[in-house]
Amino acid sequence: MRPDSPTARRRRGTRLRGLSVWLIALLVALVATVQIRSQAEVERSLVGIDSTSLAFLIDDLHRANDALDAESSDLTRRRDTLESGGAGAADQVLADEAGRLRAVEGLVPVHGPGIVMVIDANGLNALDLQDALNNLWAGGGEAIDVNNRRIVTGVSVGQMSNGVSVDGVLVVPPWTITVIGDANRLGLVADLMSKQLRADRRVRQASYRVEADVVIRSVVSQKPFVYAVGF
Amino acid sequence: MSRERSASLALVAVVALATGFVLAGQVKTQLLTPSNQVARYSALIRSVQELESTNAGSRRHIADLRSQIDALESEAAQRSAATQALRNNVADLRAHAGLTAMRGPGVQVRLANGVPGPDTGGQTRYLVDFQDVQDVVNLLYAQGAEGVAVNGRRITPLTAYSGSSGQVVIDQGTPFSSPITIAAVGDRNRMETALNDPSVLPDVRAREVLFQLRLTFTGSPDVALPAYDSSLQIPHVSAT
Repeated sequence: MRPDSPTARRRRGTRLRGLSVWLIALLVALVATVQIRSQAEVERSLVGIDSTSLAFLIDDLHRANDALDAESSDLTRRRDTLESGGAGAADQVLADEAGRLRAVEGLVPVHGPGIVMVIDANGLNALDLQDALNNLWAGGGEAIDVNNRRIVTGVSVGQMSNGVSVDGVLVVPPWTITVIGDANRLGLVADLMSKQLRADRRVRQASYRVEADVVIRSVVSQKPFVYAVGF
Repeated sequence: MSRERSASLALVAVVALATGFVLAGQVKTQLLTPSNQVARYSALIRSVQELESTNAGSRRHIADLRSQIDALESEAAQRSAATQALRNNVADLRAHAGLTAMRGPGVQVRLANGVPGPDTGGQTRYLVDFQDVQDVVNLLYAQGAEGVAVNGRRITPLTAYSGSSGQVVIDQGTPFSSPITIAAVGDRNRMETALNDPSVLPDVRAREVLFQLRLTFTGSPDVALPAYDSSLQIPHVSAT
């Protein structure tokens, strides 16, 4: 049979059509597989995160981003003051910053709106106090004191044989936790905490009050760095 | 013959098309409820991703602004001894607040998820959670850490930890999940001794046995910590 004979041409055409059908079928199968796999992939990536957790995460991220926006605005204002002013402006910016950081680090007495929480219990340990303090930080606390001991990260909350210590000093129950911050948010957190604590058999009393102005007089002393250097 | 072949091919194509439509309809009907759920989840995930992207951008912007302010303060301090003294004072306060990068001897602790196992105290105890991170950070500070960072995020005097389902959120940052690295600069020997003590971090130790949760650490003569890149605003606090 000659390669350009009508029979050979017909066979070639048939083969080509068959090949086209197979190619189309392959493409359809490929697209369908990709679609189904991508759906399955999304489902797999969500394993372990329920929608409620995601909603809380979104809420937290909104709040975090608002806080970052506020910080950006404050820093922009400081930068503009430094750019426009002379030495006087720089001194004012630096003095304001020093005052704010002393309060952040617990080096000076402070006051402001907040809550006072009282927990009377027998058998609560250092981890219980650490968790309570973390809940209050996460709930908008900006300055915290427990039984006249100032709390900041790095102040040790430890376990002694006869109870819980703050910075090496025993804090005997009842614990009075004073917190300055957004009183509304702190009130909600304290309410939840009180309910949970009252359900604990070890807890005799758990209560809180919201106040327009609470005072924290306790301070920590700054420890100089021995090992760390800036770079 | 050719017409017959064409007709048969067309028939195959029509049958394949009809089968495809029927199959697609069936698959769609079966996946309708899950795919609606997936769409809702996907929308939530997209929101999280957008917010995380905004968050990262804001933190970069904050770091940039702090750098600009530092340069302007430095310039002003060159013109006045009083300004220089104030600047030195603020630099010290910033270092203690975690606002400047630091380095020195220290340790790097790695916390990693275990595997699901016979679980009595909750469904996710094999996962590293924010309380594990909080406990390790507290231990390191109690044992002489002068600065700590978690997955590159600096701990400050006001740091708060939160999260759920194996997710760890620190301050205004985006969530982390296992493995989590906690780097600390300070008294390396004390920190290493504490981390070697089987009686510390009892909950983590118990879950190492039950769920193969992993806590490992290495000491180093030079650990570097980045500066804090988020907010340290305390709008409700005033000095007395």
